[in-house]
Amino acid sequence: MLKIENLHVEVDGKEILKGLDLEVGAGEVHAIMGPNGSGKSTLGYTLAGREGYEVTEGSIRFEGADLVDLEAEERAAAGLFLAFQYPVEIPGVNNAYFLRAALNAQRKARGEEEVDSMTFLKSVREQLEVLKMDQSLLKRAVNEGFSGGEKKRNEIVQMAVLQPKLAVLDETDSGLDIDALKLVADGVNRLRDDKRSFIVITHYQRLLEHLVPDRVHVLSRGRIVESGDRSLAERLEREGYAFLEEENA
Amino acid sequence: MSSVLETLVDGAPAVDDGEFGPARARALEILRARGFPTRKTEAWKYTPLARLEQRELAVAGPATGEVPDAPSLPFEAAVLHWHNGVLDPSRSDLPRGITLTGLVPGDVDASRLDADSPADAFSWLNLARFEQGWRVFIDETPDLPLVLVSTWDDDFSAAAFPRVVVELAPDTEAVLVEWQQGSGEGLIASELGIELARAASLTHAVRREAGGTALIQRTHVEVRNGASYRGIVVDGGGSLTRQDLGVDLLEAGARAGIHGVGMLSGQSLVDYHTAIRHRVGGTNSEEDFRLLADDRSVGVFNGRILIVPGADDSHSTMNTGNLLLGENARINIKPELEIHAEEVTASHGATIGQLEDDARFYLRSRGLDEQEATALLKYGFAAAVLDALPAGDLRDWLDGAVHEHLRDQS
Repeated sequence: MLKIENLHVEVDGKEILKGLDLEVGAGEVHAIMGPNGSGKSTLGYTLAGREGYEVTEGSIRFEGADLVDLEAEERAAAGLFLAFQYPVEIPGVNNAYFLRAALNAQRKARGEEEVDSMTFLKSVREQLEVLKMDQSLLKRAVNEGFSGGEKKRNEIVQMAVLQPKLAVLDETDSGLDIDALKLVADGVNRLRDDKRSFIVITHYQRLLEHLVPDRVHVLSRGRIVESGDRSLAERLEREGYAFLEEENA
Repeated sequence: MSSVLETLVDGAPAVDDGEFGPARARALEILRARGFPTRKTEAWKYTPLARLEQRELAVAGPATGEVPDAPSLPFEAAVLHWHNGVLDPSRSDLPRGITLTGLVPGDVDASRLDADSPADAFSWLNLARFEQGWRVFIDETPDLPLVLVSTWDDDFSAAAFPRVVVELAPDTEAVLVEWQQGSGEGLIASELGIELARAASLTHAVRREAGGTALIQRTHVEVRNGASYRGIVVDGGGSLTRQDLGVDLLEAGARAGIHGVGMLSGQSLVDYHTAIRHRVGGTNSEEDFRLLADDRSVGVFNGRILIVPGADDSHSTMNTGNLLLGENARINIKPELEIHAEEVTASHGATIGQLEDDARFYLRSRGLDEQEATALLKYGFAAAVLDALPAGDLRDWLDGAVHEHLRDQS
């Protein structure tokens, strides 16, 4: 599904990713952990196509196609979704309008028919139910006045409605209490199937107790320095990142 | 005095003509003495009246030809339709509670106008030149909103001077809508007076697409004991639109909220000058005006809040948020608070910014292309002023206008 090779990325002239390799197969969940400043969010933004994140070397292939030359919206239509670490507030635009516009923009780009209002509302209401979010959210402006936890859950609602092939969750667990964490994990688990893949960027192992990854990678100084199964996350939780420094010294 | 405007002054009806003769004579005298505003007149320094010089405004009143039907509304309403500045009252069917009569001299109060400077020249001009004046009296809460539609032809090149007074009797409630649209290259300099008696409540919306015709609209609102005025203006731009909106809170318990959004592109110019005057204590006001200026357009907001001596326990907030969208666009804002009383709260906030890259990327990451994302962000910014209205037909209609305008503009 996703194959990243020797990826180098610069932001404001500073190289952040320095030869990152990562391969994610269909239906797999990969966790990416790493200390602050290691390049985790840069990876998320680069995949989503944010301006200012310049790929200077290497390649990103998504379902065989070159992702680097696609605009952000083309990546979204191709099936890529980034759940933001800091979801952005859009005053004056209500969630229902925004989400339907986004869904139909993607469908139009793929040559599919637009979804009518009734079908859309039914779908989004179901997702709100799953994430235990009030239906009034649909009439509220996107993320405006939402608590931190509501914003994160709203990202998962969007993901569930847009049904991406690959979702990158950038620290979706940060700022969530235990109950909200479970809800988010449940929301994601419901979407797991043998075709949809996830990259879960996180600092903590606790999300991975609910959202069990197939692979865990450690990103440090712009590269994947260690990969393993979920036991790697448990070890990081116990020992921190120091042992990696020693091993890579 | 400029030659074009001088022509308009000289084209006024003879001063001994009819019951408004003395008022017209005085207006002309003041106009001839003070002239029209120039760039040096503080309140008019951003309104490029020189643009009128390039026009050949017909001296005679607007031509009377076939009057088209008023544009249709998506909700049931009582409609008064001015075309090329002229109302044909025989085409109106007003519901119970609303009566329409011609103005009488007692309805024309020039005492609040400035006779010592050119600042109120267009009000004096209207007084000198208006051919029809109407009083709308609402003495019982009507079932329907009253819509004052003003349209003008594509080749409209005249100068028109509509004049209307709307009065609400005590304890009545009404929705008044002004819908102005046309193109042409004329001038419409109108006067609207609104009088709200005790405990009356008025929602007053203005939707405007002025095109090439210059609109100079001066609205004055008087709010009495316990009455409430809620005004909202949605402007789609125009070659020269000047809106003066003055609100006098005259008795305790009077409240006013005024809101507006100007969506400007091309070479549009919209100049809002507002004044809310707390004349007594125990009065409240709020204000929110927004401008979105793209291309080479110019937006102006000058908002003044006055709390006079002794108007204690008055409360007022004013906000103006503005988006500068084009490199060559300009926005001039000037919030003014003049507080002469005690135990009051008065605040203002003013910002001029641009669309945020973070927000644009967020929308694009969800599938909207650059143009759609930009249009949606502009819409969100502009439509926020509609929060001042309750959910319903009027709000939906204005919301649709904002949406449509910004979509077409993108």
